[in-house]
Amino acid sequence: MAAPPPSGSGEPAPPPLQYSLLLQHLVGDKRQPRVWDPAALGGIPCPPKSEEQKMVERVMESCPFKAALACVGGFVLGGAFGIFTAGIDTNVGFDPKDPYRTPTAKEVLKDMGQRGISYAKNFAIVGAMFSCTECVVESYRGKSDWKNSVISGCITGGAIGFRAGLKAGVIGCGGFAAFSAAVDYYLR
Amino acid sequence: MDPLRAQQLAAELEVEMMADMYNRMTQACHRKCVPPHYKESELSKGECVCLDRCVAKYLEVHERMGKKLTELSMQDEELLKRMQQGTGTA
Repeated sequence: MAAPPPSGSGEPAPPPLQYSLLLQHLVGDKRQPRVWDPAALGGIPCPPKSEEQKMVERVMESCPFKAALACVGGFVLGGAFGIFTAGIDTNVGFDPKDPYRTPTAKEVLKDMGQRGISYAKNFAIVGAMFSCTECVVESYRGKSDWKNSVISGCITGGAIGFRAGLKAGVIGCGGFAAFSAAVDYYLR
Repeated sequence: MDPLRAQQLAAELEVEMMADMYNRMTQACHRKCVPPHYKESELSKGECVCLDRCVAKYLEVHERMGKKLTELSMQDEELLKRMQQGTGTA
């Protein structure tokens, strides 16, 4: 007969693990709020971003800011384009009685200014619309690939062309989408 | 089981559990949201939005599964207690 195994000084066996109690402390109601540092959890240690930095980044990546940026950029580009085309395509100061009259500087400048402003406004509106729809589409889809610019090009072209009828809207959609796809292909 | 002992054990396990969860979450969300076409170093807006959603879903799944597991383990313990009482009186 084997000798009885030596027992400790009357200590009872350890109680079985009560999982539900443990789980309540781990994921349930009795969990303590703690500060989790990515460096301690296995990530790459980096200094935490300050609140101002986070706010600035949030503003710079937001859709309205991007639309405003495109609007201003479109305005400047449109103005330059308008002044440039005014220089090429002049029909200013044409007097039917005296076709060979050279236009005065004032007339030329006025024409350039008008054209510049007109082109600038159009470019600004189109740019803002395109940028806004692209940002919204990208936020919705959660991906950033070529389809975003095609979809937003179609929406912008369609919205612009729709004012002249449904067929013009469809053509505008297709044309602008193709244009955006070409620009995207070139840029990526 | 002693609640204090349970709390101590849970505190030790929590660090390990959180580290594991963080690593898995980073891997999974990176695989889902960041396609391997690295044309630029900054995260684009679409990727940022996708990562926010991925992390929120992951944490919610973690919480729900934890609650479900707590329920199941409580049911198990009830069953075990009833069985022990049954064999005790028998």
